[in-house]
Amino acid sequence: MDVIIENLPQYWDGFLRTLFLSVVSGIIALIFGTVLAAARVSPIAALRGFSMVYVEIVRNTPLTIAFFFAAVVLPRLGITFQQFEVAAIIALSAYTSAFIAEAVRSGVNSVPVGQAEAARSIGMKFSQVLTLIILPQALRTVIPPLINILIALVKNSSVAGAFYVLELFGQGKQLANANGDAVVWVLVGVAFFYLLITIPLGYLANVVERKVAIAR
Amino acid sequence: MTTQVPGDALVSLKAVNKHYGQLHVLKDINLNVRKGEVVVVIGPSGSGKSTLCRAINRLETIDDGEIRIDGKELPAEGKELAKLRADVGMVFQSFNLFAHKTILENVTLGPIKVKGVSKAEADKDAMALLERVGVGHQAPKLPAQLSGGQQQRVAIARALAMKPKVMLFDEPTSALDPEMINEVLDVMVQLAKEGMTMIVVTHEMGFARKAADRVVFMADGQIVEDATPEEFFSNPKSSRAKDFLSKLLTH
Amino acid sequence: MKAFLTRRKTLLVAASAALALSLSACGGSSSTTTNPPVAEKPSFAADSTMAKLSNAGKITIGTKFDQPLFGQKGLDGKPVGFDVEIGKLIAAKLGIPADKIEWVETVSANREEFLKQGKVDMIVATYTINDKRKTQVDFAGPYYEAGQALMVNKDNNSITKPEDLKGKNVCSVTGSTPAQTIVEKYGAVLVPAATYSACLEPLRNHQVEAVTTDNVILAGFVSKEPDAFKLASDQTFTKEPYGIGLKKDDKTFRMWINDQLEAFAKDGSYKKAWDATAGTVIKTAPELPAINRY
Ligand SMILES: Nc1ncnc2c1ncn2[C@@H]1O[C@H](COP(=O)(O)OP(=O)(O)OP(=O)(O)O)[C@@H](O)[C@H]1O
Ligand SMILES: [Mg+2]
Repeated sequence: MDVIIENLPQYWDGFLRTLFLSVVSGIIALIFGTVLAAARVSPIAALRGFSMVYVEIVRNTPLTIAFFFAAVVLPRLGITFQQFEVAAIIALSAYTSAFIAEAVRSGVNSVPVGQAEAARSIGMKFSQVLTLIILPQALRTVIPPLINILIALVKNSSVAGAFYVLELFGQGKQLANANGDAVVWVLVGVAFFYLLITIPLGYLANVVERKVAIAR
Repeated sequence: MTTQVPGDALVSLKAVNKHYGQLHVLKDINLNVRKGEVVVVIGPSGSGKSTLCRAINRLETIDDGEIRIDGKELPAEGKELAKLRADVGMVFQSFNLFAHKTILENVTLGPIKVKGVSKAEADKDAMALLERVGVGHQAPKLPAQLSGGQQQRVAIARALAMKPKVMLFDEPTSALDPEMINEVLDVMVQLAKEGMTMIVVTHEMGFARKAADRVVFMADGQIVEDATPEEFFSNPKSSRAKDFLSKLLTH
Repeated sequence: MKAFLTRRKTLLVAASAALALSLSACGGSSSTTTNPPVAEKPSFAADSTMAKLSNAGKITIGTKFDQPLFGQKGLDGKPVGFDVEIGKLIAAKLGIPADKIEWVETVSANREEFLKQGKVDMIVATYTINDKRKTQVDFAGPYYEAGQALMVNKDNNSITKPEDLKGKNVCSVTGSTPAQTIVEKYGAVLVPAATYSACLEPLRNHQVEAVTTDNVILAGFVSKEPDAFKLASDQTFTKEPYGIGLKKDDKTFRMWINDQLEAFAKDGSYKKAWDATAGTVIKTAPELPAINRY
């Protein structure tokens, strides 16, 4: 127990970095994932194909590979960054956006097809149909699964600890090594700080889910 | 693009064919609708009436043949098509009002976003239209708070707000409780009287008698008869039409 | 957005190919092996471990099989390196030629057990002497003092000592003692990695200024890629004494080995062993550390 209190600064440092990685990657993934979902339902076959291939490949490969590409392969190609957080953010948002694309797509499919037809019949372009009619309605059903994806993102960010970023999990490994006699408590501390982010998110998901249920 | 159009046809279909996989749903359809004409399309279920409507509005593609609106052939996709679609108003069996928008927004969205009309002007026009179809006082509500008949009248107002050259109705009263059918038909009759060009898929023979200039009877993807209402109802020529009419009357 | 991504994908494919190529293209400077002169009929007090081994004419020695320059299995299946040379020198003093030595792979986790169970007669395997281990086994030596060092890119001449790294990115394994030292004592910015080999890429790409851990491990990396990396200096800034692991409470054997180590230093065979192996990377040959005769 003491080990947690004694090392609060390290925990806090790791916690802030985990929070930073999650928030930035989360925002990028939400935007890019929605664009991917839009591409998936667009009338242009090439966009549909690209989106499908991207989502299927990314969704079905381990996150570690995304990290490897971002942190090791990109620099080899000359795309280097002094802050390894950049690589972590690239990996996490590229990975998470595939899941977000799938969630948004299923949300889009939950909107009755008549809504899109009515919108097209008054002369709306595809982009208008999507942004004015489909996405606003899809959002309600999509929010709870999106929050779950974001919770997974927070946990997934721990992979960054093995790729040059000293986030919460990495700090935990440091502390565990330095405090070999109190490893269990060190990890309890790590778990506590993760829960500090994920539990409020889970609570939010519940609230939204209930709100949506009432609105129906 | 401007080959000679027979007469002053506003909507013209020439040798239109469409398949759904193996199923031949539109077989060599030829149809001309003049400006101000009201054409009622009837026929048994699955005969291709909805597909015809949706093809005219390009919600469905066709395999071959051509469809012209006011002399212009329907473009394949993109902005041009969107523009042309605005000239063709469509009313669906299931209303399809935008569920997340108020009644007023449902009507103003098209003019504002598609035609670039100012919000103030769109609001004014929309209120006038809503008054005309008798739901002016419902303007701030959401679609789900209205009865089916009211929703369908809003859907008509929404289509009219784009100032279309022709209106398509695909069974506009089939999803309604009987006591609400007339309030919608009344609006449609009024519209016909004002000179709107209309293509109406319906089984409401009363409406056909009262407002139609022509009745088109479809069966198995083909136009089997094309006649005035009196002619068609009193003296159908084909056995399919006779059969269909007798079944309709016994129901 | 799409164009960017497709471009990126092609690049990635190219990159993985490049990576595969570079992985197979190891090599560079490596250890050579020597054959020390074998003692003719040495005499030992009867009952001593030396007499037993000498009479048997063979010995089993534990070493690492995966530590370049110290103990790494060669293509012929025999390990080579400085530890191996030390083992051979001792065996020769027992009258045992190099081809009568049985080499057994020992790793950090099994060294104490192997000694206790008598699976090996001695262990020469970058085996750090510490008090915890001394409760279970005995150590002759130390025969070498390793220590924390820095590895930099070949063309980097601005870093020679840990003080030069203040505020700079340095890669090491998460949670390792060297990682803590470089941050707490020298104010470097830690870029933590899962393994030391994972530190090579960021170094190559100039995303970190240096990699830090024991000079022995770093020298191993340098020996594989001598054109890419080098040690910032032959000096170390911490001390890790390596000993020869022996079964507990065989003081006669331990003291005899200590005597031999001192003899190797005197007659130059110690330096010869070094120069043929680790000396290819760590050019400054070490002095034999003061023997700890406890
Ligand atoms: N998207 C589709 N895919 C495959 N077949 C379809 C599709 N839409 C309609 N069909 C088939 O095409 C035929 C014509 O359908 P359509 O909806 O045009 O008929 P309808 O005359 O409007 O019938 P109803 O009176 O039942 O509305 C039917 O056999 C129908 O099953
Ligand atoms: Mg139909």
